[in-house]
Parts: sequence; structure tokens; C-alpha cells
Amino acid sequence: MHDAHRRFDCNKNKFMKKTTKKITVISAALSIGVFSSPMLCAEQLDVEKDTLKFGFIKLTDCAPIVIAKEKGFFEEEGLQVEVVAQPNWKQLLDNVINGELDGAHMLSGQPIAATIGFGTKAHIVTPYTLDLNGNAITVSNAIWEQMQENDEKLDSDNPPHPITADSLKPIVMEAKEAGKKLPMGMVFPVSTHNYEFRYWLAASGIHPGMYTSTDIKGFTDGDIELSTTPPPQMPSTLESGKNVAYCVGEPWNQQAVAKGIGVPVVTNYDIWKNNPEKVFGVTKAWADENPQTLIAVTKALIKAGKWLDATDASGKLTNRDEACRILSQKNYVGADFDVIKNSMTGFFFFQKTDKRPLPDFNVFFKYHCSYPHYSDGIWFLTQMRRWGQITESKPSAWYHETAKSVYLPEVYRKAADLLVAEGTLTAEEFPAVDYDGYKPATSDFIDGVEFDGKKPVEYINSHKIGNKDTVK
Amino acid sequence: MSFLEIDNVNVGFGPPTSRTEVLENINLSVEENEFVAIIGFSGSGKSTLMNLLAGLQPPDVGEVRLNGEVKTIPGPDRGIMFQNYSLLPWLSVFENIELAVKSVFPKMSKSEREEHIMNYINMVKLTPARDRKPHELSGGMRQRASLARTLSLKPEVLLLDEPLSALDALTRSDLQDEILKIWGGDKRTVVMITNDVDEAVLMADRIVPLTMGPGATLAKEFTVNMERPRDRHTLNDHPEFMRLKSEITTFMLDINKESKAKNPADVVPMPDVQPKDFTPPSATLKFSHLGNKSITPVNETSQ
Amino acid sequence: MKFFSKIKYPLLKLIDVSGFKVFDPVIRLLYNEEPQKQVRDIVKYMVLPIIFCFICIWAWNFLGPRHKTKSGEVPTPIEVWNVANDNYRFSEREEEKKTAFSLDGDKRKEEILFVKSEIVKLEEKASFLQQESMRVTEEVKVETDAKLAPVNARKDALKAEIKQAKAEREAEAIAHAEKLMAGQVTPDSLVALIKKHKEAVDEEKAKSKLIGDELNEIRDNPPKRLKEAQLAANKMEDEVLHYKKRIDYLTKGNKEQKIAGLIEKSDTAIAALAAATTPAEAVKQAKAVVSSSEAAESTAEQKYPPAATIFYQTKRSVATVFVGFLIAAFVAIPIGIMCGLNRVVMACLTPIISIFRPVSPVVWLLIFQIVIGAFFPDPETHPLFMFMNSPSNPLAFLRTDPAMIFSACTVAMCALWPALVNTALGVSAIDKDHLNVAKVLRLGFWSRLFKIIIPSSLPLMFAGLRISLGVGWMVLIAAEALSTSDGLGKFVWDEFQNGSSASFANIILACFVVGIIGFVLDRLMIILQRLVSFDDGSAVA
Repeated sequence: MHDAHRRFDCNKNKFMKKTTKKITVISAALSIGVFSSPMLCAEQLDVEKDTLKFGFIKLTDCAPIVIAKEKGFFEEEGLQVEVVAQPNWKQLLDNVINGELDGAHMLSGQPIAATIGFGTKAHIVTPYTLDLNGNAITVSNAIWEQMQENDEKLDSDNPPHPITADSLKPIVMEAKEAGKKLPMGMVFPVSTHNYEFRYWLAASGIHPGMYTSTDIKGFTDGDIELSTTPPPQMPSTLESGKNVAYCVGEPWNQQAVAKGIGVPVVTNYDIWKNNPEKVFGVTKAWADENPQTLIAVTKALIKAGKWLDATDASGKLTNRDEACRILSQKNYVGADFDVIKNSMTGFFFFQKTDKRPLPDFNVFFKYHCSYPHYSDGIWFLTQMRRWGQITESKPSAWYHETAKSVYLPEVYRKAADLLVAEGTLTAEEFPAVDYDGYKPATSDFIDGVEFDGKKPVEYINSHKIGNKDTVK
Repeated sequence: MSFLEIDNVNVGFGPPTSRTEVLENINLSVEENEFVAIIGFSGSGKSTLMNLLAGLQPPDVGEVRLNGEVKTIPGPDRGIMFQNYSLLPWLSVFENIELAVKSVFPKMSKSEREEHIMNYINMVKLTPARDRKPHELSGGMRQRASLARTLSLKPEVLLLDEPLSALDALTRSDLQDEILKIWGGDKRTVVMITNDVDEAVLMADRIVPLTMGPGATLAKEFTVNMERPRDRHTLNDHPEFMRLKSEITTFMLDINKESKAKNPADVVPMPDVQPKDFTPPSATLKFSHLGNKSITPVNETSQ
Repeated sequence: MKFFSKIKYPLLKLIDVSGFKVFDPVIRLLYNEEPQKQVRDIVKYMVLPIIFCFICIWAWNFLGPRHKTKSGEVPTPIEVWNVANDNYRFSEREEEKKTAFSLDGDKRKEEILFVKSEIVKLEEKASFLQQESMRVTEEVKVETDAKLAPVNARKDALKAEIKQAKAEREAEAIAHAEKLMAGQVTPDSLVALIKKHKEAVDEEKAKSKLIGDELNEIRDNPPKRLKEAQLAANKMEDEVLHYKKRIDYLTKGNKEQKIAGLIEKSDTAIAALAAATTPAEAVKQAKAVVSSSEAAESTAEQKYPPAATIFYQTKRSVATVFVGFLIAAFVAIPIGIMCGLNRVVMACLTPIISIFRPVSPVVWLLIFQIVIGAFFPDPETHPLFMFMNSPSNPLAFLRTDPAMIFSACTVAMCALWPALVNTALGVSAIDKDHLNVAKVLRLGFWSRLFKIIIPSSLPLMFAGLRISLGVGWMVLIAAEALSTSDGLGKFVWDEFQNGSSASFANIILACFVVGIIGFVLDRLMIILQRLVSFDDGSAVA
């Protein structure tokens, strides 16, 4: 019905912001008359390549790619797209580099790390940020009980949020003195989860460990041992005691709640409000060879993001149910519809008894979030430097240059302009024309430290734990 | 000079320091179209002698000559018929013979070849079984097929290595007659090895006993002066037959006794073990777990 | 009747060759041959095993739900069966979408009307089921709350009790300490008191844990009908979604419609070109004509990109295993023959065989990804893949990609050894008499090889190949799981990653599919093996 609705809107050449059920029904009725004479309202670009293959990891934040395919946004751009699940981030990146995939759902840190040569070296670029937030840190039941002992406020069915790692610190220190560094899990060395988990721990004075040129596991000087675990294995490692806490995307936190083996204590929304999470990445070579295709893909993704974040008058997300249903298909995320729905429709279970509204847990389009902000890239670079993944000190200019070589706002801008020209979206839905790609400075972090993308080195130095550089 | 000659041949094994001779000072001359039977006990080296004649095993000392030519490698001029048939189990009777004929007479045209083959199949009375595989044939039929194959090569000498020893008595006598008949019609030089005195006397012109090994050699020969065709039904009443049979039997028993006296170790029961060898173990043992019985153990020594 | 009796022995022979000797008594019974004996045999070798299978299934059905695991309960046979049906429906849907994509003309219009009418019906059902599910959810919630209420009350009471006890203890401790200060009691007694308090706390903790467990027990075990109602509603909603998607594929996603649209666009541009007044406008329109007609052409070649169904995964796995197996056979047989013929070659290769044979397929896969990956720097333009995936190639449905080649090579690498070793042994164990025949016939090397040696070692060679295929099939599943090559291995891995409530059942389903296909492959090899073995073949199990 929604497609019919959109076509109807297209024909009228104006975008209806508020969808009500009534209108949907009318438009569906109208569309019966329309179907026999196709009107391709989108001006198709002259794409270099029309059959594409994109990779994704089975996490709910691959939604824009899946939706763009399933809702026909790619087709509207004249693209025939196949979407293929990948087993892990490393393989996904390798498949993009070796040309098996044209593009993929990537961790924000991946294009940056690949470009600067941490891990696999390859120049990867991104014209589109897929989503904001969407991760959480879950601790095991045993740790949760001890945290409750350390902080009485937590001993409740609805403890006050945000929960810091302060109550975790004594447990970590006790274990460390007993000669055992507590094992914890994250998804990938350059994943958002890694930086968020480290950030959360360090904000309470727990040293999460440094990467050095010889220690690529990032254990040096740490009070704990934070290592890589594939997302689907997270719950079982928590249960077996291989990890006592982990940071991962959905549905793996909600699953820990459902199975009663752990308690999510904090979402990354609380660690850094509206932090960028995943991006759509392609190789630089591919982007250079297929500039029009990349714009077309970006257009489709913007439409998908917009669709995912569509709300009705009361602010209820209207398309999320359908999105969850699509994602729950076994060739996409494949988890149970109810589990996906738990986190994607604006709620989050912290305990079985503790369901809270979290409307911004998954943001796909709001807050101009799909725009590839340079400052996002810079934040990841500062974290890589802070934790020693970037081994030597770099001048501020390097951070800006690197971010600019990875993020492609110009592609996004072209796609946006075309969409505005077509009337599919309005100019207000995109950042202003003179926007320079740097989000305003913000201190929406769990520790309140201010981040200004224009001053990367100063930001690195403003943290207690981690590398420090001299400002050049 | 005889047609086929074995001239002072020695065959043995082992390193020079502790060498064991299997055959020693073997001398034998066979005239053209003569039927010679070599008779001996199990383990006396009969098969070695046959291999020597066929060229499958070269002599250590001495030489084997056919028509004056020294023979060291096998060839179709000496058609050998093995004790256990040696038919290729994946080929039918016809194909088995065809393989042989094709390689020996490559220039034969297809129709000629077919006729040639059928001729021999008819000769051994296997016409109805021409397209059967060896495993579908009885022992006697297999040996007939083997005979047909050997004959189809038109060898100058026919070497029969205990061809009938694996058969039951009835089939055996049947085949003896068959061979004699064929030999009668198509005269050829034959050397047959056997352990059956009756058979030797019935079939051969001359009988040469082989003494007990190690170091076996040919002993005093017996000439069979009986006219052909010999009728097995009346043979038992034939005085010459009875005389020869008893003489040869006595002689053979004597050499056996002699050998035991000379070599008392032989009397001691030997443990049933094989000499240790570092070559891969025999196929039958190795593959029994694969459930494949198609490879049968090869019995290299005479029975 | 004559024909009937004529086929008896060929039939018996056929089932014998194919290794289904179990059915022998059935055939004989049909021919009324010693019926009593046949019935006895049928009971012994068919009925009893079938009964045993049923016992196993019953035991599974009984024990499964009683074994709670990290991923939920072990699914029952019925759940696995349902999952099999879901998988079937999933592939049916792909077919329906594919048809919708390429339908044209009046058929398309009819189909649209049909699907639309279905949607109306399905939506009705869906909304009914949705309401039903909501009703059950409400009901269950009320029930659960009712069950929880007393426990919660006990919990609150206990909490209050504990709080009070804690305060009392603290007061007692302070009072005792005051006495200590006053010298009325010994320090030891204070320690003893604190110790006693600690024990009391532990006891309280145990109590509250018990209540907590009780609460969890109630929360974690909602009545089955809730899950069933939700599942039914979800299934119907999925169906509705699918029908809507079908409409998409019949309308704007339809191939014919897309082409028509592009042609229309190019016509418009042609008209605009004719009417163009400025050179720039003319160039622009001309470009538009070219680009839209080009797009129309490429659209005409487009094919519906189907999602990976279990049937596709199975086909691909079988294809991959055969590719790997053929590579293995082509490498192993010549090398095996050389080893068997020449002891020096055997001696040279023995260390290599001994070292590499035990290496895990996972290691090979990683090595092949690097080594063979180098041959396909750009898979899309590589001639091999262009050839395999060109629309005219009947094997295009396999969607050959480098991952498939890596998996096939891994299969080949692991399946190589049994075939190689067996061939070598088959050749070296050749009957000496057969070789003597060759010598007497003075066969040359090649005719000796092809006429004597190879035929004679064929049974062993095939025994080896049979093991190879079995090994290859086992290895393949692991290789596919790791290399994301489409196939049953990936199916299993994806299900594991999905972590949905049906995942476990899907994995068990895959287990059966893998097992059955492995069984069929083995049977095929047995038949081949019997056909090449020259004795009666009864020796082959």
C-alpha cells in the first residue's frame, strides 16, 4: 500500500508529510487505475552499472539497504540489487575490496581504518551514514548483582539511567588485584562498539587497555581484557562466563534479556547521544568508476532512510512494523519479528520488568543523520589515536584530510539535490547548502567532555585515560 | 641342437654370501612337436622353471634357447597357460582373446581377427559363453578360455603351468582329453608341469622329474612309449602305463626320502610366518576393510 | 503377465546393484516366491527398522522439549516439519515473485486483480489473527499478573522484612559496640555478632533469589497458546507482505512495465529533440534518448534476483561438491597411478601426503582464498564467471562466484587423499598374473596402463572415490559456512546468525537435508562402484 501511496504522491508532484490510514486507502484505490500505465516519476540517472551486489551483516541497522531493495527504491533508480549476508566484518570488507561485492553495510570505523591502513589496507569511501545509536552494553547477571550491591539505587526494577561504570569499577579492581582481568566482548577492533565500550569504561576510570604497535589485541595496561567476539555468540559467551559484559548491536542485547542471562545497563545513546553507527561503504576505485551509480544508490538509500523514519501526527513511527517484518525474513536479519520489533519500534527492555521508551534508539534519517559528516569521521580517528590504534602522533590537519578522503558529502549532496528537484524530499530535510560538514561542538557524552570536530587533538587531550598528543 | 633348450641354468635368490639356489644345473632339450611333462613336488621350483622358459624370470647362470635364439624376456612365441587362468576379469572371453590377438597380430583386419578368435573359442567349445565374464564361468570353462587365448597366439611352444591342478577330477580328465585332442590336431611343442603322475603318463611323450629343492635339478627322464591316441579307459590295463606309473612313483618317493634325509630341517614343522618384508603389505589384507574382494591372493608357488 | 515375470530378475538385480537389498523380499513377495519367508524377512529387515525409527522420533519428541539449552528448547519433530514447510513456502514465494517480475500483457493484469483480491482476504484474516493475538496477549498478561501478584507481594514483604532486619542488625551492632566501648563485652563477641549478621544476610539473599527465580519461572514460561497466537498472526502478516510485494513486482517492478516506461521516456525525448530550439537542449534530449534506450536494453536482460532458498542452496552445494570432487579425481587418479607404478614416485610423495592429509579444511579454505583469489582480481569481468553466469548458460542459476571456487578447491584438497591413496594401492596391488599376461603379450606402456593396470585397479579406485565424495560432502558444509559460498553450509551458518526461534529447527532440518543428500551421493557411488567391479560385486557394502 505504501508504494501505491508514494506513487500517488509522486504523480501529484508533492510530498505528503503526514500519512493517515484514510489517505492510504484512497491512494490505493486510485493506484488501481494507475498501474496499467507506468509512470516513473524519478528521473533515472545514467548509471554505469545497473546490476549490483551489496553485503550486510545480520544486524537491524542494515535496514536502509534492505528497505531500499524491498521497497523498490533501488529499482526506481534503475538498479537491480542483490543483498547478501556476510559472515563477519572482516570477510565483508575483504569481499568489498576483492570486488565480490559492490558495496556494503560497514562499521563507521571500517572505511577509516582501511583507508589509514589499520588492519586490511584499502581506500574505502562512504557517501551515506546508515543510522545513529542502536548499541548497548550488557553485563552478566552476576556482575549486575554486584553492581547493585555497590550502588543501592540500581537495586530496583526501574533503576535511574544513565548507568555509569562507577559501580562496576570496584568489581573490576577487586578482580584485577586477585590477578584476573575481567574478560569482556566487543564486535570488531574498529567497531563503534569497541570505542563506545572503552569510552564508557574510561569515563569511570577503568582502563580498557591500549593498542600498541606490538599489541594488536589492545590489552596493554588495561584493567580488563576487551576482546573480539562475533555478535551471535555474545549471549552464549556471557552465559558460559567467557565474557562478563559485552557491547553489541541489536538483537543481541534484547536476546540476553529474553533469555534471562544478562542485563543491558546502558545504550550508546546514553554514552554519546546520537552517535553515528554504520555507514554504506564502497571502494574508492569503485566510486571513481561508477560516479552516477553511486549517486543513484545514495538517492535510494536516502529514500529508504526517510521511509524508515516516517512518523504520523502523534510522532509514532509508521513504517517500522513493516520494516521489522521485512528484516525478520530469513535472508535478511532473520531474527524473530518480536525481537527485532522490541528495539526498532522505539522501546528497549533493560530487564524483563523494565521496558522504556527509547524513540531515538534507531535513527535512520532524522537529525540530518544520513549525511556523511566529516566530524563523525574525526571522532573515530580521535578514538583510534586515543587507544593507540594509530600508533604515532598526528597533526590536526591530518585528521581533517583523512576524514575528507573517506566521507563523500558531495555525492550525498548531489543525490539530495536531485531528490529535492524531483520533489520527493524537501530541502529542509537536508543540511543547509553552506554546511561545512562539521557538526556543532557537543558535550552530550556520558562524561560530559566536549567534542568539537574542528579540534581533534585538543579533544584527544581532554580525556584522562588514553594517548595524549601535542597540538601542532 | 634341439628346438627348445635349457642350458646349464641356475636360479637362486639372496645375497652372494648366503645364496640359496632354487634350481641348479638344469639341462633340458625338447624336440619340435614333442610333449614333455615335468613332474615334481610342491615347492620344488616347478613354477620357477616355467617362468624361466616363459622368460618371466631370467636365469642367473646359463641360458634358455628357442630355435637357437637366446630368450631372456617373455614373448608370444612361448604361449604360457597359467595355473590360475590369468584371465582379465573385466573382459569377456572374447575380449580376453581379442586383447591378446590384437597385440600379437596387429595387422589382422577386423573380420579376420573375429574369425580367428571364434575359431579358437569353438575349438575349446566355449561358443555359447563367448560374451561372459570370467566370474560367470566355471573353473573348467575359465581354463578353456585361457587355453584358447594361449593357442590363439599361435605360439611355437606351449607352456602349461599345472593348468589342471585347480580343477576337480572330472573336469580335469575332460580337459586332459581336450588338450590332447587339440594337440593331436595341431601339433606343437608342449612343456607341461604337473604333480600328477597319471596325467603325465597319459599326456606326455617324455616325463622329466624335478628333484626336491633347494637346488632342485632335473633327474633321469622317462620316455613314454605308448602309441597315441591313448584311451584313458583302457589305460589302467596297459602294462606300459602301469610300469611307468609305478616306476615314476617309486622314483619320486625315493627323492623325497632322500631329500628329507639330506635336509632334516625340512621335517621340523615350520612356523607359519612370512619373511619380513618392507614392501607394502599384500592387497588382500590391506583392503579387506574396504569390502573389496576383487583382488585375490596370488599363490606363487605350486601346490 | 509375461512381461511381469520377465522383469523379475532384472528388477532384483537392479535393487541389488543400487544397494537397496532391503526391498528384495518385497519384490519376491510380489512374485509369490516363498511368501512366508519373504514376510518374515520384511518384518525383520523393514518393519522392525521402521518401528525403531518411530521409536527414535518419539524419543526425540519426548526428550526434546525437556532439554532446555542456551538457544531455547530442542525443537520437536513437528517443529522441524513446520520449519521445512516454511522453507518450502519461502521458495514458493520466490517463484511467485519471479513469475510476477516477468509476466506481461493480459496475464499480468489478471494476476494483479487476482492478487489484489487475495490481499483483501488475507488482510481480513491477518487483522483477525492480530486481534486474536492481542486478545491472547492481554489474557495471558492478566493471567501472568495474577500469578505474579502473590509472588510479588511476597517479594515486597520479604524486601520490607529484610530492610527492617537490616536496620535492626545495624542497631544491634551499634548497641553491642557501645557496650564494648563501655567494657561490658569482649571484642570477640562483637566479631561473632557481625559474623552472625553476615550469615543472616546470606540467608536473606538466598530467600530473595528463590523468589526471583519463581518470578522468572512465571515470566519465562508463558502459556503455549500465546506463542502460537503470535506465530499465527505473524505468519499471516508475512503472507500479506508477500502479496503486496507481488503487486510491486507486477506493477512498477515488472520487467515489461519498466521497459515500457523507458521506451516512453525515450519517445518523449525524441519528440522533445524534434522540437528542440537551442543546441544545448537538442544535445540534452539526444543524450536522454540514448541513455533511456540503453537502459531499456539492459532492463530487457535483467533477471529476477532470487533469494537463496533451501532448494537453491542444496543445488549449489551439490554442484560445488561435484566440482570439487571432479578436481580431486582429476588430480588424484593420475598421481595415484604414478605412485602405484613407481615406488620412487611413491617414496617422493609419501611425506607430502602424510603431512597434508590431516590438515583441516578450514586451513585449506583460508589458503585458497588467498592463493586462488589472486586469479580473480575482478570477478565480474573474469571470463570464467562471465561464461558461467551468462544468461544463456544452463548453469547460470548456480550463480558461480569465487567463493564457490574456493569451497570447491577446499573440497578437492580434502577429498584428494582417499582417492589418491586407494588408486596407488589399487595399482600397486595389481594381480601379478595380469602383469605376466601383459609381459607375454609384450604390451607397450600405454596399452599396459589402459588395458591392464587401470581396469584392474578400477574397483579400488572407485572405493577411494566413494570415500572422497563422502569426505568432500562433509568438508563442503564447513567450507561454505566459512566462505559464505551459497549452499547448505551457509544456510546453517545464516540460521545460526539469525538466532530466531526457528533457527534451531532450521539447523536440524539442514542436518537432515545434508544427511539425506550424503546418503544419496553415497548410493550413487556404490552403483558406480558395482558397475565397474568385475566380480559379483557382493563384497561392496
